[in-house]
Order: sequence, then structure tokens, then C-alpha cells
Amino acid sequence: MKSIPNSIHPVQLYLYSHDITSPPFLIKLFISKPKAVYQPRNENEILEILNYARDNRLNVIPRGAGTSGYGGVLPYSPYNSIIIDFFRMKEFEIDEKQKILIAEPGVVWWDVERELNKVGLSLRVYPTSAPASTIAGWISAGGYGVGSLRYGGIAENVERLRIADFSGVRETEDIHLFSGLHGTTGIITKAWIKLKEYEEYNAVAFHVSIDEAVKLVENWKNYIYSAFFLSSEYITAKNQVFRDDVQYEVPEKDTLVIVGVENSKQLLNLSNLKIGNPQLGEHLWDLRFYSMRVKRLGPTLIISEVILPYNSIPEYVKKMKKMGAMIEIWFNKNNVTSLSFFLADERKVGYTLAWRKSIKAMKLAYSLGGKAYSTGLYLAHHSPKVIEEYYELLNYKKKIDPLNLLNYGKVFPKGRLPTLMKIAELIS
Amino acid sequence: MRDDTLFKELEKEIFICAQCNFCRICPVYYEEGWESSSPRGRIYLLKGILKREIKFEEIEGIVQDFFKCTTCGICEVVCQTSIPLIEIWEKAREVFVKRKGPLKAHERIRNSALKNGNPYGEELNKRDEWFKQLSENFEIKKAELVYFAGCTASYRMNEIAKSVVSILNKAGVDFSYAGRDEYCCGSPFLRTGQRDLAIEFFKKNYREWRKRGVKKILTSCSGCFRTIKKDYPVIAKELGYAWNFEVIHVSQLLLELINEKKLKVRKKKLKATYHDPCHLGRHMGIYEEPRRVLELSGIELIEMEDNKERSLCCGAGGGVKSQFKDLAMKIGKKRVAQAENIGVKMIISSCPFCKLHLKQASEGKLEVIDLVELIDKFS
Repeated sequence: MKSIPNSIHPVQLYLYSHDITSPPFLIKLFISKPKAVYQPRNENEILEILNYARDNRLNVIPRGAGTSGYGGVLPYSPYNSIIIDFFRMKEFEIDEKQKILIAEPGVVWWDVERELNKVGLSLRVYPTSAPASTIAGWISAGGYGVGSLRYGGIAENVERLRIADFSGVRETEDIHLFSGLHGTTGIITKAWIKLKEYEEYNAVAFHVSIDEAVKLVENWKNYIYSAFFLSSEYITAKNQVFRDDVQYEVPEKDTLVIVGVENSKQLLNLSNLKIGNPQLGEHLWDLRFYSMRVKRLGPTLIISEVILPYNSIPEYVKKMKKMGAMIEIWFNKNNVTSLSFFLADERKVGYTLAWRKSIKAMKLAYSLGGKAYSTGLYLAHHSPKVIEEYYELLNYKKKIDPLNLLNYGKVFPKGRLPTLMKIAELIS
Repeated sequence: MRDDTLFKELEKEIFICAQCNFCRICPVYYEEGWESSSPRGRIYLLKGILKREIKFEEIEGIVQDFFKCTTCGICEVVCQTSIPLIEIWEKAREVFVKRKGPLKAHERIRNSALKNGNPYGEELNKRDEWFKQLSENFEIKKAELVYFAGCTASYRMNEIAKSVVSILNKAGVDFSYAGRDEYCCGSPFLRTGQRDLAIEFFKKNYREWRKRGVKKILTSCSGCFRTIKKDYPVIAKELGYAWNFEVIHVSQLLLELINEKKLKVRKKKLKATYHDPCHLGRHMGIYEEPRRVLELSGIELIEMEDNKERSLCCGAGGGVKSQFKDLAMKIGKKRVAQAENIGVKMIISSCPFCKLHLKQASEGKLEVIDLVELIDKFS
């Protein structure tokens, strides 16, 4: 174990004890520091770490870039844990003939895309955190991203996984046993990802209401690659923070952006609307990775991320607007991902109460037939509702991880935090 | 306390960080791999100190990672929330130095500079030797334009300073040179948290420029350029000094002279790549002038994969070369490899410090030359 790059410096451990959230005081009570951080260089070192963890009854937390917001990579107090950081496992190869990417867990999505484009290929889907997030990180967190309108969620785009657990290493095509499960059922050591031919995209923006946006996307979804909607409130906030960097201000109206291989004229014809704005569409498409820019107005941003069916999104948006949310919606093949942003200040006393907005947004989504986007630590108690085949997966987990050491308390609720979260939901 | 005030100034920006890790493209983090050496980790460390979740006593053994940053500024380019990160790194380093003292190599260059006015440990009275070698007949007179050679060109990369003088003479530009009265601009100390010393050098240089009736300052070093153009006005304001100097980099002057036909360049058939010095490019936004000069000289410019705003640092800046030699060399070799990958035999830069470092990193595999040297040869 000593030969595996590691750190036990208390400050280093502190730096590995967060994700993108700034949890309020009450939740922070459940977050500790790991005992150590390991950076394995290969599969054998992962197995060595797993054996060490089993022998010493330590929870194992796999960590990609820590860009998720569900606490999936956080050390859960008071349980002893070690973190596996995959920084040193970022090799990948491209099977051009089969259009498959074979990648180690620590590979960053956008690094791959750059190389793929050189050989005329491209990712089918990628997260909006692609400039930083890792292959195994997104597979483990699960969910949808750019391109999910045409190609579905990440799980649908993974062909095979290589998994390490306490019994060794194996390859599997049962992606559902691992995607969205935050490393609780095994550690991904390699992934085979489906690719597509490289395409030049064009984007066009339309100032339409959410009702019209949903209808338009439903009509076009077989023709376009991606689509997203930004609420007028969100654009107003973006204008405030982008003012110094960007020469022109975006009209502060509800806006739908559609992205496809067709040229902008064809995209406009497709819409039967003559009011589309290609220049604005390109601009907003270029900024697709910068959704958290509005944090400058915070300095804290509380984010609620939910999945909704197409038919309930208009009502959801209208109600969220009344709650003061800034909204970004990504259309997927069979549902949408809605992100609601609330400005807050974690330095202030009332910050804990501000988190209720996020809970309210989630409750509203459930009332409209939606669900939480992911579970991780904070929403582990929602897993039976969020994850299809939850009980089958629970049995699988018990079989391969009888000591419950693989990312303890994540996805499969344990400890006291789920109770606290349930109370918080009751009073919100 | 000054350090508390400094941290307070930075507080809002530190809390604005989204922890999104877009800054993971930092060349130092790429080599080191630990959060403590990443921009995100450094911000989170400062946040921890502000929230009193980390005590100053605890940072022993890890604070040196804060000084591994070359201040190249690529983190600022990709920052999702537009945080002025370079300013944060420099101010935080100042606080750490006040609390813990400078790192060993940084202390060494400080002592050296205190004694001789340069960080290289060379004698002050040898600063103008390169100038004397040019011609015995050179006469220093008062002029509105002063050439600020800087420490690296004065003591290590003489050919750059000589080329500047040669070009000024060819173009008939009247100029002055302060010789032994020129002191380090202070850049190494501003970047390593030793601002007090930079202020002292500011005062010495300022006094000299005023004495000589200088109106315009020409630099051939990108580090000096950034410092005199961007940091000196701030220091002047703090000290209550008037600041009305025009500051230009030699790449800007070259373009001006060629455009005005004051400098004739014989076009040469040559294939080369251009390395953007961080202090000239990302810090000061000068990307096009050196490229235009190369174009006008007939040079076929082939860009490396990372160029302009996304250019990879040479690895030497921010006090990294003096304190973390191996790290600096790893980054430098990576940059040289980018040039090799595009099949060129020559890297052109516009900073003596970049030239010095890339030359060492290339180990003779590629020719590394400064823009001004090249143009001097062709004019």
C-alpha cells in the first residue's frame, strides 16, 4: 500500500472532503475527513486498496472530479473512510472501426472529445461539466447530458464496464448495476463508451414560452441533436455577470435553443417560425458549460436538479418562477432535466433555511410525476423512488459487498442523515 | 492586521468559486495531481482558513504547494465564475510569507536582490557589461524612451538586450539606458509574496526614470512588461506617486517600426512556432503583435496545439524555477514536446525567461530564439 501515491496530511484530506455543494451547518455535521487519499495507477493497486479497506473495515469512496452535487464523494461521518482519486488512471484508446472509446476511470470527457474530433469522431453524450468531470464519475452519478435528446442517458451509451470489487475484477454489460449507483456496487476500472461520427452543429434560439418550447421540441426531437431552455430570469442574471466579458446582451426573455446538423435556415424552416436567432443560438450553445456563472451574484448557489416528464414541465416552470428560481432545462429523449438556481450566501445565519427552496423544488417535481435527478448521500432515502429495480440492486449490493464498505451510506440509505433529510422535507 | 485585511478583500471571490474544477487544466496540477496544487484546491484551502476550519498552524507541510503555481493564469481563462485568480494567488502568498516566511529559494533570491539589485546573485556593477560590449562609442544620453533590459537579459540572455539596442539603432530611435542604475523590476518578488521588496525596487527605478526625463519605457522581458505596465501603477497609487509613463513591449515596437517602414526586414523562408509568454499573452492580452511581426518577416508560423489564450506555460514563472526545478522542467519539456509534435525545429518566444527555460528544457533538440533576436538578424 505504501507504494501507491497517497496523502494523509490533514489539510489535503480536508481538500478531498467536498463536492460542488456548500452544505448548511446541520448537514456538515455528517461530513468528515477521510483517513487517507489514494491515487492508484492501475487495477492491481485498486484491488490492493480494496483488500486493505476490507481488512481494516474502512469505507471506500471512489472520487472522479468531485463535480456532482449529491454528496456521493463525501466522507460520511462518523464512519472511517478512504478516498480513491483516479487522477493517475487517465489512459484511453479509440477503436475507430467499432466507434468505441475505451477509457480508464479518471479520463476527462472533454480531453477525449478533443482527441476524437481529430479522427472524425465525437462523443454521443457528455455532461455539462465535461471540461472537468471524469468518465467514471458521470457513469457512477448517472443521468443525462448534452446529446441525451437523441442518444438517451449515459447508461444507454456505455457498452461495457470493467469492475473491481472485493472478489476481484470482471467485465460486464449489465450497466444498470453500476450507473447511478455512486460506486456502491463496485469500482469502475475501465469503460467502453459508444461514439458517433463527428458532426458540425448549428444552433438557433427562439424566444418562446415554456409551453411552446415543449411542443416544438416534441415535434422536432427526431431531427435535432440537443435542445435547452433558459428562463428569462436566468438570462437576466447571466447578463449581469457576463456584461464585462461579452459584447452583447441576450434579450431577457424565455429562450429555447435547438441544436442540429442542419444549417440555421433549415432549422428555422423546421420550426415553422421565422423568429429564430442563429447568432444568439450559437452564443448560448457556446456557453453551455457555464451554467454556474451566475454564482458571482451569490456568492452561493443552491441548485435543485430534477427529472420531469415532458407534459408537466410547463406547470413546473411556472411554479418555480414564482419561487424566484432561475431555470435551465435540458430536453432528453423521454423526459427533461430541470436545473433551478437560487442565489444565497452561505456566510449568513439563514443559509440553512435557504436550502429549503431546493427541497421545495424537488417536492414540486414529485407532485408532477417527476423525481430527483440522482441520490448520492443527501438523497439516499429517495433511492427506492429514483432508481428502478432498487430492491434487486440492494440484493446485489449485499451479495458483493456484505460488509457494506463500498461508499457506505450512499444510494442505499444508512446512518442518521436520511432521518434528518426526511424531517427537513416534512417541514419545507 | 494586514493579512486579515488582505484575506477579507479576497473573501467574496473565494466564496464565489463553484468548485467546478474547470481549472484542472493547470499545468502544475497536471504534473502533481493533488488538490493542494490545483487552483480549485488552493481556493478551497483559503476558504477553509476564512471559515476557520483550517488553522494556519496546520498548513505546514502543504503550504509549499501553494507556491508551485507559475501564475500562468490559464485558470483565469477557464474559470466558470470569472474569479481574478492571479490576484488571489499573489495576495494569499503575501499573507503566507508574512506568517511563515518565504520558501528557501525565494529567500535566497530576496537576499541576493537586496544586495545586488537582481535575483541572480550577480554583481550590480556588472549589470551593464553587455551594453559596454556593444561599442565603446555608445553614449548614454537623456531621452524620452528608456530601454529597461531587466535582470535575465542583463545577466543571462545578453543577446536579447543587444538585439534590442541594435534594432533601436537601425531604426534611428533615440533612447536611454539606465545601466547600473537599473534595478530588478520586482516581478519575482510580487509573484512570490514578497511585495515589500518589489516596492523598494519600484522606488529606485521610478526615481531614475524621473531623473532622466523618461516618458516611455520599453521592455523586452514579458515579466518586466507586466510588472511595469500593470503592477507599477497600482504601487504608485498606493504610494501617492504620479504615474504617467507609457509602457511598451518590444513586440509592439517591432510591429510599429516595420509598419512605419523605419525597420526593413528581409523576408526569410523559415518554419517555426511561437510560444506565448504568459506575462505577455494571458496577463496583458498581447497575442497578435508578435505573430504579425513574424508574418511580415515571411516566417511560416505553425501553431502548437495549445496557443494564445490556451497556451501552455513554459513552467518557469511564479518562482517555480528557483524553488521547484524538477516541476518547472517537466512543464518545460511538455511545451517543447508540443513544438516537436508539429514538426518545427525552432521555437520563437518574446521573453528572456521563457527562452532561458525552454532552451534548457529542449536540451538542444530545438532552437529557441527570441523574437527580437530573429528580427535583428533579418533586418
